Amino acid sequence: MKRTLLGACCLMIALSAPALAGDADAGKKKSQTCAACHGPDGNSSAPDFPKIAGQHYDYLLKALKDYKSGARKNPIMAPLVANLTQRDIEDLAAYYSSQRGLVTKY
Amino acid sequence: MKVSTLLLRIISVGALVAGSGALAAEGDPVAGKGKTSMCVGCHGIPGYHTAFPEVYHVPKLGGQHAAYLVKALQEYKAGNRSHPSMRAIAAGLSDQDMADLAAYYASDAMKAAAK
Repeated sequence: MKRTLLGACCLMIALSAPALAGDADAGKKKSQTCAACHGPDGNSSAPDFPKIAGQHYDYLLKALKDYKSGARKNPIMAPLVANLTQRDIEDLAAYYSSQRGLVTKY
Repeated sequence: MKVSTLLLRIISVGALVAGSGALAAEGDPVAGKGKTSMCVGCHGIPGYHTAFPEVYHVPKLGGQHAAYLVKALQEYKAGNRSHPSMRAIAAGLSDQDMADLAAYYASDAMKAAAK
């Protein structure tokens, strides 16, 4: 019984851990198109284009997914994400979230 | 074209450019800090997650470009971006509020980049 409980707890912890599926190195290789506006490491120097360096992995996933589905409308981003696979999106999010840039500000 | 006409044209174009610049509210980071009461409950807590309608980390704003932050708030207010809480909050913000908040969150850019 104890062992079952322990196993169940381990499983729950494993499931609740953030699923960081993306590969940052692969993401870096796929980021050339992004770099033109967002900067090579995601610290964009153009004020109209958001910095994405250090942004949360799952927020980047959500933003890219929403551009792809059309839930978030943007004439620049829409065609750029149209051909990205789920794997590409995860890799890019892993790359940019692992860079230094944005911070949580109170 | 006479020189005087050309000069007049240059002056009027200059006035147009200056006028359009004045339309964009100038952000005051100090005023912005006093307007964050609706922001800090989510954006001020490291690692905070949204609860509705989807669960994910709320985006980090510290060091973000002010122009982008203003654009994001305007899009929520206009309904072009869909997050329910953000739409409700942005609906009550004036252009000046948006500019002030954006100036506040952007103002740590150097610190953010150095971190």
